[in-house]
Amino acid sequence: MSFGLECKKMKRTGFISAFLCGGFLAAIVPILNMAVRSENYFGIDDSPVQILMNANWQMMAMLNLLLVVAGACLMYHTEYADNAILKISTLPIKESRLFWSKVMLMIVMCIMILIIEAAGIAFCSYHWFEMSADVWMEVIKSFGYALLLMLPAALGSLLIASVCKNMWVSLGIGVVCVFTATLLPTESFVLSLFPFALPFQIFVETIENTAVSFMIAAGMEVLFIGISESICLKVRRLFK
Amino acid sequence: MSFISLMGIELKKIRRSKILFILAAATVILWLPSIFNADVNLRMQAEGISPENNFLIQGFLGMAWFMFPASMVVSTVLLNMTERSNKGILKMLSLPVRTTKLCLAKFVVLLILGFLQILMMTGMYFISAEIVSQTQNYDFVLKPLVVFKEAGFIFAAAIPMLAFFWLLSVCIQTPIFSIGLGLASIVPSVLMINTKVWFVYPMSYSFFVVTAEYGKMASKLSTEQVEFIPWIPIAVGITIVCLFISCHRFGQAERR
Repeated sequence: MSFGLECKKMKRTGFISAFLCGGFLAAIVPILNMAVRSENYFGIDDSPVQILMNANWQMMAMLNLLLVVAGACLMYHTEYADNAILKISTLPIKESRLFWSKVMLMIVMCIMILIIEAAGIAFCSYHWFEMSADVWMEVIKSFGYALLLMLPAALGSLLIASVCKNMWVSLGIGVVCVFTATLLPTESFVLSLFPFALPFQIFVETIENTAVSFMIAAGMEVLFIGISESICLKVRRLFK
Repeated sequence: MSFISLMGIELKKIRRSKILFILAAATVILWLPSIFNADVNLRMQAEGISPENNFLIQGFLGMAWFMFPASMVVSTVLLNMTERSNKGILKMLSLPVRTTKLCLAKFVVLLILGFLQILMMTGMYFISAEIVSQTQNYDFVLKPLVVFKEAGFIFAAAIPMLAFFWLLSVCIQTPIFSIGLGLASIVPSVLMINTKVWFVYPMSYSFFVVTAEYGKMASKLSTEQVEFIPWIPIAVGITIVCLFISCHRFGQAERR
């Protein structure tokens, strides 16, 4: 029920259309890139998906991240704006339910934008490269991996948004986190585990072992963020 | 009410907003990687740039590319939300004050916030350059005049961008769209500075200015240089149009 409620709350905020637009914007990036300077990418001895991801994923991941951060801020802004959250906390449900139903909605949105982007990548490999049967498998694997690695950032930004009452504070912290992620050196494994740096990873680029450890790390981060959220809510309730 | 006192009121409104902490945190984070990876600066023979210049430029590039524009988007959110959260804007609009003045006062506050962030970044530069000089046994501190000139140039080049962000936040009432558009417009500036028509895209101005300076400092690297003639008239035009529309639209949604 509360997932449906979350969808209703977001109905007139432009949340869903913003994600749709963002998804299309990110999907246009590889198409534009190929249309303008396709000659740079021919003759590279890699699979089409690998070439396309290498050329465009940084920018697409950046757009996704910014979208997720702004979306998370908006989700909690609607609660805080007219003190609706006080009414929620008087209901006979756990306060963390609210967080998890928001997480669910966020995941659905992430899946949506990633499907749009996957379609963009698939279109590029169909139009500019030779299409082979394993392209589909590769695209699905890449974007499944991208979804999993996006989760810590999504949950993290929701955690930040749920803790800060003012939208600009949560947006500011989110933006600073995204900026930090762009500064971190990519060679270092430990530093790339920063939740906001994970979405920049590319599946086809990484060795299988590393990819598995990234996925395990992402799962652990999700767990950790979930636990910290419930602790934050408990502590805040104590002092309110 | 005079413009100065209006500005004073606007500044008072954001006094307890903690925005300066966020802006300061961003500048601290900006310089931390440069401090840890300072030895890279000593190995830049391929580009033909001196270590101290490279240290300055790499930091400023990070600032002008993403951090400064994104912080300014956050600041526009702040300026708007403080008014809208408890319908404060309705009270402001009922005062016998011209809305144009109100809008411009808020824009000037945005400029002040931007100026403060650039100032903090420059301050952090001197601190981190001093630290790096100690750790690397090489003098990284440049003359203050050079640094302040570059920082001032970044700020001046950012004014059209600020006007554009202000236009977005005034005209688009749905917060997610004004924030989303603002943040999304930053990302393509990397592509725009490599094109011939970079001067039509206000978000790329500061980044272009720093890249041009990079090309000037690095002898083996050639980047496009700033040409004032098509740029300045277009930049001034964009600023004026953005400010004009935002002053015209300011408070219209509330007055309906």
